Amino acid sequence: MKRLAVIAATMLCSAALTSHAFADGETLAVFTKNQTNPYFQTVRVGADAAAKAMKAKTLHYIPTKPDSIPEQLSQIEDVIVKKPSAIVFIPVDYKAMVPGVEKINDAKIPVVNVTDRSAGGKFVAFVGADDYSLGLETARFMLKSLGGKGNVVIIEGVKGSLTSIDRVRGFNDALKENPGAKLLASQPGNYQRLQALQVMENLMQSNSKIDGVLAANDAMAIGAIEALEGANRKAAVIGVNGTKEAIDAIKSGKLLATGDYNGFVQGCLGMTIAIRSLRNEPVITEIVLKPTVISKENYQPYDVPLESRACPTWDEASKLNTK
Amino acid sequence: MTDMSKPMSPGRFALSEEMIQVFYRLLAAFLICAALTVLTESFFSLGNILNVLRQTSLLFFIAAGLTLVVLTGGLDLSIGANVAISACIAGTVIHQTGSPALGVLTGIGVGATVGLLNGLMVTVLRIPSFIATYGMLWVLHGVTYWYMAGETMHGFPAGFRQIGSGYFLGLPIPVYLMVGFLAIGSIFAQRTTWGQEIYAIGANPVAARLSGIPVASRLLLVYVVSGAMAGLASIIFLARLNSAEADIGETLTLPAIAAVLIGGTSLFGGLGTVFGTFVGALILTLVLNGMNLLSVSASWQPLVTGVIVILAVWLDMKTRHHAR
Repeated sequence: MKRLAVIAATMLCSAALTSHAFADGETLAVFTKNQTNPYFQTVRVGADAAAKAMKAKTLHYIPTKPDSIPEQLSQIEDVIVKKPSAIVFIPVDYKAMVPGVEKINDAKIPVVNVTDRSAGGKFVAFVGADDYSLGLETARFMLKSLGGKGNVVIIEGVKGSLTSIDRVRGFNDALKENPGAKLLASQPGNYQRLQALQVMENLMQSNSKIDGVLAANDAMAIGAIEALEGANRKAAVIGVNGTKEAIDAIKSGKLLATGDYNGFVQGCLGMTIAIRSLRNEPVITEIVLKPTVISKENYQPYDVPLESRACPTWDEASKLNTK
Repeated sequence: MTDMSKPMSPGRFALSEEMIQVFYRLLAAFLICAALTVLTESFFSLGNILNVLRQTSLLFFIAAGLTLVVLTGGLDLSIGANVAISACIAGTVIHQTGSPALGVLTGIGVGATVGLLNGLMVTVLRIPSFIATYGMLWVLHGVTYWYMAGETMHGFPAGFRQIGSGYFLGLPIPVYLMVGFLAIGSIFAQRTTWGQEIYAIGANPVAARLSGIPVASRLLLVYVVSGAMAGLASIIFLARLNSAEADIGETLTLPAIAAVLIGGTSLFGGLGTVFGTFVGALILTLVLNGMNLLSVSASWQPLVTGVIVILAVWLDMKTRHHAR
C-alpha cells in the first residue's frame, strides 16, 4: 500500500537507475535484457548477492524498452565513459550486440558473458544454462509421468528467439523418444500468458483429449492451466524458468514441473568470476549449468524468497558444470 | 444515393453509408466462418463459438473506447500500457483489502485517470494525441516496471474470477458485458447529441468549433472513456488470467488499432461505428482461432494477420463511394 501512495503522489516519476559515484574499490556494471521478465530479476539478485559477499558494488543497466538493441548499445557507450572495474553482460540479442561487446573490449574493461552466449567479442568467461537440454529434460520428465504415451501440445515462445528454438527442439526430441506420445499441435504463445491461454482454449476445441502441455516458459504454462481449469479439464503441464509462481503452482498440484534456468546461480557465478578475475584469482572460463527439473519431489529449496537465497561457494560452483 | 462532400454532421444519410460498410464487414466475418466450418469440424460448435466470443470481448473493450478517440481524428497509443498499470494497481488493492468491488473501481478509476491526463495534454497543452499518448505509454511502462519490480502477482478470489471466466445462463460473463457496451456505445455515438458532436469534430474540427460545439470538453470525454475502457479491460484480464504482470498489455495496443481499422473507422476521423469495431475485433479473433484449429505454423501467423488488416482497409477504401 505504501507503493500505491508513492504512485498516487508521483504519477510522473520513472524507473530511474540509482547511480553511485565510482568509489575506490570495485564497481561492476550488470547488463540485463528487461525489467519485465522475472528471470532477469533473479539474475540481478544473484549478482548483487555475490557482489555483497565479496564487498564489491554493482550498477544495473536495463533497457527501458524491453530487449531494445539500440538502447543497450547506448548504455554500453555510457558505461565505457564511466569505466567500471568489470562488466557482467547479458546481450539483448546474441548477434546484434557483438559490436557493443567489441567496444567494451576496446575500452579494456573485462567482461563476463551470462545466459545468452554472444556470437562474438572477447570474454573472461561464459556462464549459462543449455536451453536445449532444459527443454529435453523437462519434457522427458512429463512424458515419463504420462507413461510415455498420450496426446501432447507444444506452446512455443517468440518465433525465432534462441531460447524458444532450443527449448522447442528439446521438447520435440523428447517426443521422438516416446513413440506412444502424439504431438497434436505446436502453436505460438510468444511467451505471453494471455496468448497461451487463448491458444490453449482454441486447441481444446479441436482436441477432446489433451494429456500433456509443453510450454516454453512458466507464464505460458500458467496461462494454459487457467484455460484448462476454465474448461474443467486436466492435463500434465510443464513450463521453463523456475519462477516463483511456477513453484507455487507445483506446490498446489496444478503444474507438473518447471525446468530451472537457474538465473540466481548464473548471476552469482557471473559476478563471482568477474570479481575473481579482477583480483587475479583462478576462474572457470566456461560454466554451463546442468538442467534441473523442479517438481513436487524437490521444490523445497526453491520455495524461499530470492533475497534469502545464498550463492554457491566457489568449490560448489566448480561442480555445477556440465562440461 | 451518395454525397460527394464530407458530411458536416452525419444525419441519416451518413448512417446508411455506415450501415453498408458494416454490412460488408459482417459479410467478411460470415465468409471466414463459412470457410472455417468447411475446413475444420471443430470450428462450428457451441463451445468454440462461445470461446471465440469471449476472446473477442477482451479485444472489444479496449478497441471500443479507442473508436471514439479515432472518430475525433485522434489516437490513443497508451491503451496497452494503461491496461497493465490498471491491472497491477487493481490487483494490489484486491490483495490488500480482499474486496473485489474495490478492485473493480480502482481498475476503472486508474484507467480513467490516465485517460484524463491524456485528454488534458491534448486539449490544454495542445499536444497532438499521437505524441501525447505515446509519451504516456512510456511513463506508464516506467511506473509499472518500477512498481512490479520484475515480480508477478497471482491468485485472486474465486468470486472475482467469475467476471472473466464465469458463465450466466450458458453464456460467458464477458460476452454479456460486451453486448452491453456495444449497445451503450452504439446508442451514444449514433443517437445522442454528444455522440454526433464527436463525429462532427472528427469530420471538421474548425467547423465544429465555429458551430458552437465545446470541442475541448468533448475531446476530454473521449480520452477519459478510452482510458476507463482500458481500466475495465484490465479487470477482465485480471479475472481471466488470475494474475497481473508489468507487460500484461504490451501486445494489445496494435491489435486494438487493427480492430478499429478493420471495423471501418477512418484514422482521419469522422467516419466509423462502434459496431464496426466489434466486427473488426471478431474478424481478428476468428482468424487467430482458425489458425490454431488448423495448426497453421507459428511462422505464418503474424503474416496472415498483417495481410488481413491491409486487405480490409484497402477494401474499405474501394467500397466507400466518396474519395477521402
